[in-house]
Amino acid sequence: MFRRMLLGALTRQRGKLAMIALTMALGVSLATAMLNVMMDVGDKVNQELKAYGANLSVVPRGASILGDLYGVEEGLGVSDKYLAEDELPRIKTIFWAFNIVDFAPYLETKASIGSGTREVDATVTGTWFDKHLDVPTGESVDTGIKRLKSWWDVNGGWADDSVSDASADGMMGSNLAAKLGIGLGDTVSVTAAESSGTVTVAGIFHSGGNEDDRLFVPLRFAQAISGKAGLVGSMEVSALTTPENDLARRAAQDPNSLSRHEWDTWYCTAYISSIAYQIEEVISNARAKPVLQVAESEGAILQKTQLLMLLLTILSLACSALAISNLVTASVMERSAEIGLLKAVGASGVEVSLLIMTEITITAFAGGVLGYFVGLGFAQMIGSTVFGSAINAKLMVIPMVAVLVVVVTLAGSLPAMKMLLSLRPAEVLHGR
Amino acid sequence: MFMKMLVSSLIRRRSRMLVALIAIAIGATVLLGMVAISFDIPRQMGREFRSYGANMILVPSGEDALVKLSDAERAAAFIPKEQLVGMTPYRYEIVRINMQGYTAAGTSFDDVRRTSPYWNVNGEWPKGADDILIGSDIAEFTRITPGTVIAITGRSGSGARFKRDMTVSGIVRTGSVEDAFIFMHMPTLEELMGDSGTAEVVEISVATSEAGLGELVSRIEAEVPGVSPRLVKRVTQSETAVLSKLQSLVFLVTLVVLALTMICVATTMMTVVMERRKEIGLKKAIGAGNRSIAAEFIGEGLLLGVAGGLFGGVCGYFFAQAVSMNVFGRSVYLDWKLLPLTAAVSAVVTVAACLGPVRRATDVEPALVLRGE
Repeated sequence: MFRRMLLGALTRQRGKLAMIALTMALGVSLATAMLNVMMDVGDKVNQELKAYGANLSVVPRGASILGDLYGVEEGLGVSDKYLAEDELPRIKTIFWAFNIVDFAPYLETKASIGSGTREVDATVTGTWFDKHLDVPTGESVDTGIKRLKSWWDVNGGWADDSVSDASADGMMGSNLAAKLGIGLGDTVSVTAAESSGTVTVAGIFHSGGNEDDRLFVPLRFAQAISGKAGLVGSMEVSALTTPENDLARRAAQDPNSLSRHEWDTWYCTAYISSIAYQIEEVISNARAKPVLQVAESEGAILQKTQLLMLLLTILSLACSALAISNLVTASVMERSAEIGLLKAVGASGVEVSLLIMTEITITAFAGGVLGYFVGLGFAQMIGSTVFGSAINAKLMVIPMVAVLVVVVTLAGSLPAMKMLLSLRPAEVLHGR
Repeated sequence: MFMKMLVSSLIRRRSRMLVALIAIAIGATVLLGMVAISFDIPRQMGREFRSYGANMILVPSGEDALVKLSDAERAAAFIPKEQLVGMTPYRYEIVRINMQGYTAAGTSFDDVRRTSPYWNVNGEWPKGADDILIGSDIAEFTRITPGTVIAITGRSGSGARFKRDMTVSGIVRTGSVEDAFIFMHMPTLEELMGDSGTAEVVEISVATSEAGLGELVSRIEAEVPGVSPRLVKRVTQSETAVLSKLQSLVFLVTLVVLALTMICVATTMMTVVMERRKEIGLKKAIGAGNRSIAAEFIGEGLLLGVAGGLFGGVCGYFFAQAVSMNVFGRSVYLDWKLLPLTAAVSAVVTVAACLGPVRRATDVEPALVLRGE
């Protein structure tokens, strides 16, 4: 009997129930889209912030002090410390290897660069432009400054990493090119401490920094002319990180001060300090320093964005909850005549409420399922338009949305239900 | 007569009208709140991006090796006050500690904290004239700790030797070149060197878009011949890229939320009107024309829309303000023209949502409706 009444109501009241289902679907799709986007926005924005370049710099232990000094000549004291080039791919074997987006080595040497009659002393930097690497784990990666220096304004193209017979392709900073009167495709001679070679300028770049006064050449070439085969002066690493918290700050001071449990948490979280620590573990004699300009700001921006999205999500959830419960209230009240009749023929309050609740729950459920998939569509639309990549659909969203649906439906129908139960059948049927 | 019907209809059907009014007000809250936030995002987020440090530097132009601080002041005068986050001069000189040479930078620490908020200082920022900061690499190399008094020696501009005891108030760590510098107050360095009013470079942090910066650069270049302004491409270009993504994200989210809220408002209005088919039938039965019935509903819709829109708009302002205060700690900028616009949009949506059901209701034979079929 109950089932027959329920089926009857569901089929006969199609229009009104469809309206509830529609509203529910709209609300749920909004909730699903916002929750999915909110949960993924951190990763996505993090990925975008990689445009600011490396957030870790790796230097040989003890050598950092003199390499960066202005006005102090090379060769004073301890600057003859280097990293080994063949150890660099190990960086992709650390615990957070997946979070290492790009990295590039640098080897700087002073050289005199000549073109025709003109000759200028400048810094020559050996690096990887777009290097294909085979990692010990069997994977292979493409990395280099082409990805790391996304803000460079390159005229011409990115150079190639290959070197043959003391000649290679290189890229020249705009200031240096202007000083030498060099154009694209010209060849310059480069003479350094050990030997000399020729470099064909494949690209001229403008970076707005001190790189504009330098010549960038393949690492192998720089090693050859400076007589430092297999050595690297420093390295820049761009990694996806989690914003720092108290634990990370304490660990950055001294990892040994943490308790066993804290240490595990710290080591297994992608804090910049734990990634730096892990890089120091795999590369011998290395010191990895977070570049605070990038690392700190990244954290600040990420947190703001996430908080903003969280607040917007809460707002839209509240709005869809209110809208749904509003409609449920309205549609339950509408049915006073039918309920009056049911009561007149002897239905108890409990039976009536049960019937109506079941109806609405079924409708809400159908609307909710539909809304979930529509919401996924919205999330993907936002993801592909804004970030050009799909939003990760999190399973956690499903129970959250389900709870929302149940709470909203109940909250929406309760006041109406209370009113209906207090109705007097005769009055309602009379039309008052 | 029309007004009387309108008002009495709204009053007699209080609870239903309240339902509709709430729906419209919620819609208007979302509308105004989200639109205000998405328009304010570039300004607010732009401020946050200033934590990446200076986006413009002033370097000497032409043959000069140094920037005159008076020229820098003149250049800064072209930047609107509210956009200028900070301006920090740096003057570099070689000094010695225990015969070991280091680069000392003279600067103004208050300005450093504004232009480079990412500096991590272990210890205290310098206060007195003889307080200095040392870079973490130097600290590690020389094992100097905060609080130590060290003797700084060197030669002034005229070649005279100087020696001065200074207190290391803190150790600065940035992960880049600053780690190998010594920082002291500009007047102190000027006193040691015997000349004043110059700097190697002046860092400026301006809260504006890349286009705004470009304009500033060309104006300063034309008006102040002593300096040549340069954009820090790494900061400006990346900021434009990331900021435009963030803005389009919030914009799209706003669009989706708006569309869904408007549909919600519309469905609520439809339900409210559908319920009144009986009333419409009765009116028709006693001789009301379709036109006058439609006019009544539209009038009601307009009234509800405007009232709900205004009320919701005010709520929306508080909502946007709350979000802005929570996320950015600054109050939101609101164009007051948005308020009447919100009310107008709410009214249009409400009326449009009424029209469909009203037309269907007026098409029906009164007798059928009244009989309850």
